[in-house]
Amino acid sequence: MTPVPASPAVTATTRIAAPPDVVFPYFTDPALIVTWMGDRADLDPQPGGVFAVDVGTSPARGTYVAVEPPTRVVFTWGLPGSETMPAGSTMVEVILTADGDQTVVSLTHHDLPGEHRPGHKKGWDTFLGALPAAVVHLK
Amino acid sequence: MPRPESPASASAPDAVLKALADPHRRQILRLVQNRELAAGQIAARFPLTQQAISQHIAVLKQAGLLTERRDGTRRLYALRHEALDPVRSLLAEFWPDALARLKDAVERAHHPEETR
Repeated sequence: MTPVPASPAVTATTRIAAPPDVVFPYFTDPALIVTWMGDRADLDPQPGGVFAVDVGTSPARGTYVAVEPPTRVVFTWGLPGSETMPAGSTMVEVILTADGDQTVVSLTHHDLPGEHRPGHKKGWDTFLGALPAAVVHLK
Repeated sequence: MPRPESPASASAPDAVLKALADPHRRQILRLVQNRELAAGQIAARFPLTQQAISQHIAVLKQAGLLTERRDGTRRLYALRHEALDPVRSLLAEFWPDALARLKDAVERAHHPEETR
């Protein structure tokens, strides 16, 4: 069999006309996160704390891995109750970089199946569980 | 004239997502993620009838998620990794859209006087 080529994680970036300390709470404050992602949120922004955002009928669930205001936030991402989605999960890392009075937001979604490598099944498993949340959101 | 759809078109996100929506089918894909297995070898790992497994395999094949290779009288199945590309691309679209909404939300709140 031919080896599976590694493909990069999904990345996205945007530039916002506000400093990082203004942008950061949009990833940690339930009232602010729902202004751009999901309908309802329950967030406990500390390492190990809950990251829960309801996206349509799909609950996106994870835990915060790193919360470093105002520059970096990392959280896991998946679906509860899914046999493919236990505690470990795909991981979303957000870096906020100040540029004058603006902020560059760089987001990386790790552990997707294209990143598969031998002995690293977890990302694949959880990706399948996590995906519906993201897809519902697109509609 | 448009030509008949090739099998590759079956791996459109909808077909793939529908195929992935079943836990048994996801488990089958995990089994054949890095190796080929015959239908009987797959069935032996499930508390399901061979017929039920065959139906799951058919759905996965139609979605373009499985390759099939004949080996004598056996048919061997393996995950077709590239079938997941359209699904990956959904996420690749999801985050830029989400960040665009984030930008709008922050800038509306931070610069309310500039909102039209």
